[in-house]
Amino acid sequence: MMRNRFIDLPLAAVAVLVYVSLYLPILLVFLLSFFSMRRGKVNWDSFSLSWYAKLFENDALGGALWNSLLVGSLAVVAAACFATSAAILVRSRPGRHSARLLEYVIFLPFLLPPIITGLSLLIYFREAGVGRGIFTITVGHTLFVSAIIYRIVLTRLNALSRNLVEAALDLGATRMQTFRFIILPNLRMPLLTGGLLAFALSFDETMITLFLSGTDATLPVRLYAMMRVGFTPTINALVTLILGFSILLTVAVALAWRRNAGPAGRTSREGRT
Amino acid sequence: MRMTGYVPGAIVLWAICILFILVPLASFLAYGFLPVVDNAIVYEPTLDNIVNIVSNSSYRTTFLRTMLLAFEVSVFNFVLGYATAYFIWRRSPAWRNVLVIALAIPLLMSYIIKIYAMRGVLGTNGLLNSALLALGMADEPVSALLFNLTAVRITLSVVLLPFMVLPICVALERISPQVLQAAADLGASEIQTFRWVIMPLSLPGAIVGAMFTFVLASGDFLAPELVGGIEGFTYGRLVFSQFGLAFNWPLGAALSVLLLVVALAVISIARRLSNPRWQS
Repeated sequence: MMRNRFIDLPLAAVAVLVYVSLYLPILLVFLLSFFSMRRGKVNWDSFSLSWYAKLFENDALGGALWNSLLVGSLAVVAAACFATSAAILVRSRPGRHSARLLEYVIFLPFLLPPIITGLSLLIYFREAGVGRGIFTITVGHTLFVSAIIYRIVLTRLNALSRNLVEAALDLGATRMQTFRFIILPNLRMPLLTGGLLAFALSFDETMITLFLSGTDATLPVRLYAMMRVGFTPTINALVTLILGFSILLTVAVALAWRRNAGPAGRTSREGRT
Repeated sequence: MRMTGYVPGAIVLWAICILFILVPLASFLAYGFLPVVDNAIVYEPTLDNIVNIVSNSSYRTTFLRTMLLAFEVSVFNFVLGYATAYFIWRRSPAWRNVLVIALAIPLLMSYIIKIYAMRGVLGTNGLLNSALLALGMADEPVSALLFNLTAVRITLSVVLLPFMVLPICVALERISPQVLQAAADLGASEIQTFRWVIMPLSLPGAIVGAMFTFVLASGDFLAPELVGGIEGFTYGRLVFSQFGLAFNWPLGAALSVLLLVVALAVISIARRLSNPRWQS
């Protein structure tokens, strides 16, 4: 294709605008957690860690962090089991109406506005007499992240040759053995990638959680409560710490993704032809 | 994989789906028909809430305003997102990787943190005001940037951008080099290639992106709550307030049915549009 040099400039301008608008606000919060600001300018002489020190005096935050980690881990494990079984089922009977319907239902909590997923679970748990807390938040997060794990696992399963499974069954392997020794080893990377991604999503989920958390707040819900009260530099410090953690998770996801995409990407292309 | 032996598994999976996805949705729909008398829910279905919503003009205005807002954000991001994705696609593969990852990173950052960060940009002492003052484009800080609908628009647009750019990137990535080679061999200019080859092939991705943007923007209540102030009152906030201060859950449920209908309509339209005949 003939590259048109005149197109580059406006495109680059838009791209710069997009990247700046994505990163600048976050950079600002990061700076403000260390420095104070006067008249819209960062005061570079005012470096201090005092806002971080204040954070550690706040016990409620520690509890919220613990809740976030607990809910994230439980939700990832539950979603991995649920989504993997669903993906295997859908893969085993593709094109079936019931399989496509199952897929649609699994995607619903992810596709619908979070406000609807959140309040329908809230109403449901209230009518069922289940009190709000870690359990209800975990259910919400499990449903929310299942779609992601399902998608990633299904993509890998689709790339996996059916002959492998047929061969195992023909050689007299039971279904459990086939799953354990043929399917599961192939799912290790997608489950790792999907699990990390799901954990990151759960760690940041706010809207569904706001409906489902009683007194057991997760970190974003705690943050929301603090932000509504007003600006305090302590929030900047907390936000910076959470961002650091999110970036670590993202790097982990990216690394897992690359390893996943390496060999699997190749087989998926072969699998399709 | 043979079908026998999968039946019990299917029953368990469907049981989970019914118990935790479909029944909650059904109970939420049913709740919309329950009246509230003296702050207590009465379990005798009526059409009170529906009548209340239809006859209340402020609900209607809020709904329409929010849908318009979500539409504006989708269109704005559609244009920005297409340009950015196309820009990324034209880079070398190494650069492409870096740029795509740089787009994905904010997606994994806390939503609420990004909204909060936008306050620092839009506020009276914020970055945007400082820039305007420094450039001489304003004589005094502009207070009109925060705590109104424009602030909500800008904030939603920024936080939802990756949802638009990434699907377009994926769609562009899938275009086979042979197709582009063919276009080049036939003497097409870049603009012609874009118009007749690249755009039709990547439009499905853009439609998925626009769908995500619209659905997320229309139901959002965090951004309006944190940067919208009193003026930036949206439908999502209206619904959420029924579960907080107003404490009228059935009305909240009835109000959000409208949101659900719009979301389902947008999702199914997008599914149709993004699955063109030549792909299947």
